[in-house]
Amino acid sequence: MLLPMLLSFLSPIALAPVSEAQEAEEGLAPGDIWSEDYVFQNFPWGGDSKAQFREYHDYFTMKNRMQFLADRNSEFMTFHEGLIGGLNARGDEMKATDYEGWYYNHRSPWIKITKDASGGDCNVFVGDCGNYADRPDVMLVGNHHAREWMSYEVPMFFLEIVAHYYGMAGVDNDGDGLIDEDPWNGIDDDGDCALLNSSNQDSNGDGNPCGPGDLGVDEDFSEQFITDMVNTREIYLIPMLNVDGNRYDREEFCGPTAWENCRTSGWRKNLRDNTVTGVTPLPDIDEEVDEGCDGVDLNRNYQFEWGAPLGATGPLFPGMCYAGGPNNDVYNGPVDTVDQDGDGRLNEDHVDGKDDDADQLIDEDWMGGNSEPETKFIQDMTEMNDDDGDGASEFKTTLTWHSFSELVLWPWGHCTNCYSPDDEYLVYHGQVMGQMTDYAPMQSSELYPTTGDFCDWHYGVHNSYCYTIEIGNAFHELPEDIAHIAVRNVGIAFYMTEIADDPRYRAIVGIENTTARQWLSGPDNVTVPSEGDIPIGFCLDVTFPYSTDINMTHLMWRFVEPTRQQDDFGPTEWSNVPWSRTPFIEPESNVHCSLRDGSNGTQIEAHVPLPDTSVGKIQYKAMLGTTNGAFPFIYPNVDEGGNYYELSIPYRAGFGDAILSILMFLVIASFVWGGLGFSLREMFSEDDRVLGMPIEDEPQPTPKNPGKSN
Amino acid sequence: MESGSEQSSDQFSGRLGLIFATIGAAIGTGNIWRFPRMVGANGGGSFLIPWLIFLFLWSVPLIIAEFALGKRSRVGTVGTFRIFAGRRFAWMGLWTAWINVAIGFYYAVVTGWCLNYFQIAIRGGLAEGVDTIEVWNTFLENPMQVIFFQWITVLITLAAIWGGAKAIEKANVTLMTSLFVLLFTALFLAFVMDVKDGSLDGFIYMFSIQPEYLVQPETWINGLSQSAWSCSAGMGMAITYSVYMRKDEDTTLNAATMCLANNSISIIAGLTVMMAVFSVSADPLGAVSGGSSAITFLVLPEVFAQAPGGPVVQLVMVAVFFLALSFAALTSMISTVELCVRNFVDHGFERSRSVALTGFAIFLFGLPSAVLWIKMDPTTGVRFPQFLEVQDHIWGYGLMFSGLFMAYTIWNYGWSRYKFWQEENGVEGFDFREYLDHGVSAFRDDFINTGDNDWWIGRWWDIVMYLGFPIMFAVLMLSYFVDLLANVDDPWNPANPHGISIILLFWGVTASLFIGFNKLLVSRPVFRNVPEGADVPIDMLPGGHDPFVLIAGEEIPDGLWDDGYGDGSKRTGTAIEAEIA
Repeated sequence: MLLPMLLSFLSPIALAPVSEAQEAEEGLAPGDIWSEDYVFQNFPWGGDSKAQFREYHDYFTMKNRMQFLADRNSEFMTFHEGLIGGLNARGDEMKATDYEGWYYNHRSPWIKITKDASGGDCNVFVGDCGNYADRPDVMLVGNHHAREWMSYEVPMFFLEIVAHYYGMAGVDNDGDGLIDEDPWNGIDDDGDCALLNSSNQDSNGDGNPCGPGDLGVDEDFSEQFITDMVNTREIYLIPMLNVDGNRYDREEFCGPTAWENCRTSGWRKNLRDNTVTGVTPLPDIDEEVDEGCDGVDLNRNYQFEWGAPLGATGPLFPGMCYAGGPNNDVYNGPVDTVDQDGDGRLNEDHVDGKDDDADQLIDEDWMGGNSEPETKFIQDMTEMNDDDGDGASEFKTTLTWHSFSELVLWPWGHCTNCYSPDDEYLVYHGQVMGQMTDYAPMQSSELYPTTGDFCDWHYGVHNSYCYTIEIGNAFHELPEDIAHIAVRNVGIAFYMTEIADDPRYRAIVGIENTTARQWLSGPDNVTVPSEGDIPIGFCLDVTFPYSTDINMTHLMWRFVEPTRQQDDFGPTEWSNVPWSRTPFIEPESNVHCSLRDGSNGTQIEAHVPLPDTSVGKIQYKAMLGTTNGAFPFIYPNVDEGGNYYELSIPYRAGFGDAILSILMFLVIASFVWGGLGFSLREMFSEDDRVLGMPIEDEPQPTPKNPGKSN
Repeated sequence: MESGSEQSSDQFSGRLGLIFATIGAAIGTGNIWRFPRMVGANGGGSFLIPWLIFLFLWSVPLIIAEFALGKRSRVGTVGTFRIFAGRRFAWMGLWTAWINVAIGFYYAVVTGWCLNYFQIAIRGGLAEGVDTIEVWNTFLENPMQVIFFQWITVLITLAAIWGGAKAIEKANVTLMTSLFVLLFTALFLAFVMDVKDGSLDGFIYMFSIQPEYLVQPETWINGLSQSAWSCSAGMGMAITYSVYMRKDEDTTLNAATMCLANNSISIIAGLTVMMAVFSVSADPLGAVSGGSSAITFLVLPEVFAQAPGGPVVQLVMVAVFFLALSFAALTSMISTVELCVRNFVDHGFERSRSVALTGFAIFLFGLPSAVLWIKMDPTTGVRFPQFLEVQDHIWGYGLMFSGLFMAYTIWNYGWSRYKFWQEENGVEGFDFREYLDHGVSAFRDDFINTGDNDWWIGRWWDIVMYLGFPIMFAVLMLSYFVDLLANVDDPWNPANPHGISIILLFWGVTASLFIGFNKLLVSRPVFRNVPEGADVPIDMLPGGHDPFVLIAGEEIPDGLWDDGYGDGSKRTGTAIEAEIA
């Protein structure tokens, strides 16, 4: 045979290129490690340059994009503007228009994100459905301050990620062939950034090589985690609270290219007309915005310790109201003129959690605050969104984005050298988020004291763990910096979402390292029995108060097999099936297992029911809930890939009966091979008979050829 | 038309030559890697039942039709449709030819893989302990290597068909005989392996009926698709090769032989793979039903490398397997190129020039499949050629339309004969009984049961062609698209390579291009390859009165060229003849 000779002759030539590939270099270029799309931060959801975070959204394009995403993902997102209104928690009759900005008359657009967003309970005041008593709520708010443009781009980035990745799992985000190897934690877990040559290690140019926001850091997060979060939380995302101020900043005050002329300046407040509302003695000469005094600082307008003069100069004075005159950027809003409790005394018990006037009522006649449409919107959304009807806020965690200074802040803001009862826990989460972003964590008042800010109110009044993030180094960042700053900050939103079930307990187990020591048996630790259910063990801390309710603690698993119709040349395609749940049970006798640090643990087990004839793999992970309602602690956790484990299941049943199979073989063989032999013999036999020809046709072996040829 | 016009037609030397050529065309890599996978995924013996049933419901009837068409038209696919379906439908033949060539573009690449694996195997590169994923990825990541073996494939193919029917016959006889020997060797070794591990479990699984699979529609759909693809029914291979039939050749037994031989090889290859995998692998069904062609290059080398009898036997086993695979692929490659060449020759191109042109085109347009979009499956770390995969998607199912066009031709002929009969006998109005007798059965009476056949075809064939065929076509297409809709994310996005839009787009563009091209196509004369003394009139066919349809060697009537073509200059028949010679 000629072929083998030819091939052996030529093969050295063909194999030559192999050896050239591996020549050592001093560090790699980004393109050597990751996909082009990742290297150039081409985000997988496509869209225009705004959706790709190359350019800032403005209010209108942002709202369009929000509506577009909500329409396309209506199963887990709904779009809203402001609130519908009705009788609020304070007995005021609210109309939808009460939440419109003073000047441009927009209501703040927001998106509700949760699985089955149109199911569950509907709230006629707030206007959303998808309220579930067993899903913790989290509120994420951007752009209190008009000029802080990154503070609405980051929430938009969060929205794009959720919209794109919900329902996916096991995506290789950076194209390096690994899956979910680098979750949001501020660390280059897989060490790929470190492989770069040094000039590429600090891609965001902040001076910190391979830190948050650099290429190769936190680039391959778990999509399953995102899916789990959407399935178990209600996320209220309000990217742009201060629409009025933002429009004014972009359209009038700084212009659309504000980073050129307003890098660290711009319009901050909303657009309350302080001249016409009588706060200043001057008459309003026109309908225009008076830059010398109009507007209220929304993040000083919340009621908790409102108007306390600590630190800030003249919090109750809006400005001088003449062109170019001093304008008070931290104006707290007008002083209240209503006797809320009707006792004839005005403002005798301001909001501080104490009974100032010793009448057994707390904070019932406040001094001011929550006077603006925007802050009223936050107030009523917080106070009217009561899924479980216990009267307390559902938002156990709240987050607000600001800029700039690269900080993570937590309450208190209104007092210095004072500490909240939850200080230890607030510090814990603050430090985690500080590490995620490489931002400096500190108590808010350590930066400077504030009064009436968002977080003091949420924590002080509603006991919500609340954080303020100061993004970046300018109010108006350069457009080319939007993407990497967004990347650096987005993990925090997911962290706040995760801890929204019980932030206090999350801090306790975080500090004590309880949950990190517990482990779910990976595929290497599971023995597939030769028949019957497959037991999967879970090693828990003996003191961990896990719930035995299957809704809280269960093994999520699904059996996937190759689809029966496979491509001939593509990768294996797997069947797509929904998750099932199986409870964990305690084995008859107490089985001990070793926790990750070697100490004793308790073993519980889930038994996955699977027929012996199944061939494929089971994907599984554990969701763990506590008796006090924290849910879910997910295993394998984010640092272990955050995805799920995958266990190959071989065919375990018998292959069939020998005798029957031989019979079948004989049938098939005689059919196919016998048939072949028969037809060959007929073909070459000399006789002229025609198989199967009806007898009556026999005499005329050459049937008519209709139409003779010429 | 190798050397002028004194030798006007080109024939196989005998019946055996034709049989070998058609079997070679039918047997391809699908028998060796797709069939075992299907058996594994569809319940072993349970799969064999639908697979056999559809052999007689789809493959055999369609191949019979192809033989009958080609034997009468004596031209390749374009000419055949032009003659049988009429001038307006010559594009259907172009579609059939195109599907075939489009598959050929990437099939040459795949054949190249097989050749490469054979050379790796004989040099000991697939011995026990070798990381087969590494071997595979390294190969695919190396475009020059892939292209090199693709080029070798094209060269071998061209060498085999350069000399026309006799050469094709010789190449096929050699390759096919070797393939049988190789496969039986592999089967024997696999049998030894399976017996050695104590039980014949591979054999047992393959021939055990699991009743629950028999009631699942998927099993039947997969049986149908395997039958439809494996025999190359509808590809136009049989049309092409029947052009080279001697005048009194049988068609029906040839069709049965071709398909049964194809299935025989499937069983041998299936048994070889199943027994080998079951004897070695801890999870044999997972390994064998897991997926794509890559499995062939990953699992099987690993399995064969563990054959008992030491390194020499192992090397022989791997090498033999990949050589057999290469041969199976090469014979299919030969028929692919020949189908295209035949169409060129029919239209007056010189054979050697057509061969060179086709070979060059197949190499050139196969390059993207060879090197483009070499992706990594992140769950397994195995490379796969996505461009090639998409091509396979699009044209694999496009093949079904070729089959439908053939069925259409037959319906069309039946109707025209019925009308003719009505006219002749002065019958008015439609009568179903008469239509059955004088329309539906017309094709069978006129072209199949011609007296040359050793097997008389009964009315069942009409039923299959008129009723069964459209139903099976619809079921296949529906199940395919429903599957896409159900399992592919974002199926309507045209940028999604696995989506529906991209397939419809390619089909639509190709079909409309060809329909638009039709006029130009039928302005060229077609030369029929009629053997000496054969009585193959075509004047009762829709395209039978086309003055441009000529018998090779016939004088081209002058004056037909006034409208001109090509550069627009007027040509005389003599000029054309000179050009052809």
